[in-house]
Amino acid sequence: MDLIEAQISRKSIKKGDVLLGEGEICQNIFFVESGLLRLFSIDASGKEHIIQFAPENWLISERSSLYFGLPSSYYIDALEDSELVIFDLNFIQTVSSISPEFRVHNEYILQNHIRQLQNRINLLIGANAEERYLDFIKLYPDLTLRIPQWMIASYLGITPESLSRVRKQLAHKNFR
Amino acid sequence: MKKVEIVAAPKDPHFVGDGFRVHNFIPSGYRMDMKRMDPFIMLDYNSKHYFSPTKTPRGVGVHPHRGFETVTVAYQGKVAHHDSSGGGGVIGEGDVQWMTAASGVLHKEYHEEKFSQEGGFFQMVQLWVNLPAQYKMSKPKYQGISNDKINKYQLPDGSGFIEVIAGEYKEVNGSAETFSPVHMMNAKLEFGGKAEFDFPAHFNTGLLVIEGSIKVNGQETVPTDHFVLFENEGTDFTVEALEKSMVLILSGEPLNEPIAAHGPFVMNTYDEIRQAIDDFNMGKFGYLEE
Repeated sequence: MDLIEAQISRKSIKKGDVLLGEGEICQNIFFVESGLLRLFSIDASGKEHIIQFAPENWLISERSSLYFGLPSSYYIDALEDSELVIFDLNFIQTVSSISPEFRVHNEYILQNHIRQLQNRINLLIGANAEERYLDFIKLYPDLTLRIPQWMIASYLGITPESLSRVRKQLAHKNFR
Repeated sequence: MKKVEIVAAPKDPHFVGDGFRVHNFIPSGYRMDMKRMDPFIMLDYNSKHYFSPTKTPRGVGVHPHRGFETVTVAYQGKVAHHDSSGGGGVIGEGDVQWMTAASGVLHKEYHEEKFSQEGGFFQMVQLWVNLPAQYKMSKPKYQGISNDKINKYQLPDGSGFIEVIAGEYKEVNGSAETFSPVHMMNAKLEFGGKAEFDFPAHFNTGLLVIEGSIKVNGQETVPTDHFVLFENEGTDFTVEALEKSMVLILSGEPLNEPIAAHGPFVMNTYDEIRQAIDDFNMGKFGYLEE
């Protein structure tokens, strides 16, 4: 038990704190108890592309560096003051070897994550802006209240103007 | 006599958008949470702060509200407001904006253009007043109340006056309509000026010293930018100005209804909160250009 506890820690961070920078090796998986983190990249022109948001009860990490030891192409930062539980690959492996239930649960989480990513690829390739937005509000219902429009647009791979258009059209359709 | 329960110093300020540098008194800290202060569920105080001139007005962009009223009392500076129900206007020194979000509005609040360009001192209070369950889904409403429309009670010997924003003071009625018994007034007192107040014991009652310093009940000295919470016993208290002072007085009958709050929505149950989030996401609050 001591061994397990040594591999898990808590951290309070402030809005704007950066947990992972490009080129670094991500050592940790972050579980968000409260607050909000995001995983994003910055392209050659300086534009941010948001891959994932992690509000309460979400896990977030950068897999190519966590599992494969490669320098990260991504950043992880805090969009709100956050309370985190932090653990590493060792922790996953140690607990998996002790507890079959944990191993099954961990695999479920992984499969679910892949399922979400499949869905996201499908939407990014084939769906229009409105369909992407409707999927977003199902997955992250209250993020529309917590982050600026341009971040949602960045996540959806659309311009802030077309997000604005989508919301305007929905209002036109649904407003009393 | 209503005794002082807490004298709260302003906490470290934080920014709401980039235009409001506020100390929060309700609901965080000091035990002044939504239940204790019911029906006053939020109080942000922008103490006097200098904003430098800028071409782009500072403020808060489009955001929704449902389930309560937002009340802005302007002491210095000017704020422009627009909302999705068509309400809007500019309020400046001495004016009050009373917006009933009720079933839902989108609004934005920015420093008025000319004020932004010239820069200047800015000082305001924003309060959220909860709505009784039966009015939470009623039609939104906007009351822009300019200072000349606020009824005043003159204290004897030119020692000051009371501006009655809502409720009643010595038979002078407040200018704003409310959905539950709420008293809200500014006491503007000259040096030595004294006023007594009388509210039912069970009303949640407090005051904020906007300017100057005061003595409460002849005992407690309260400096600028401090908030006083009164006990729920006794009915009357006195405020005496130790210098030229201005004090915002609040007293409201608790609604004693369940509170479910999430960000800009304050309802009675979490199902209603989920509904509010869903309605906002689906455009049911309307649309307002950024």
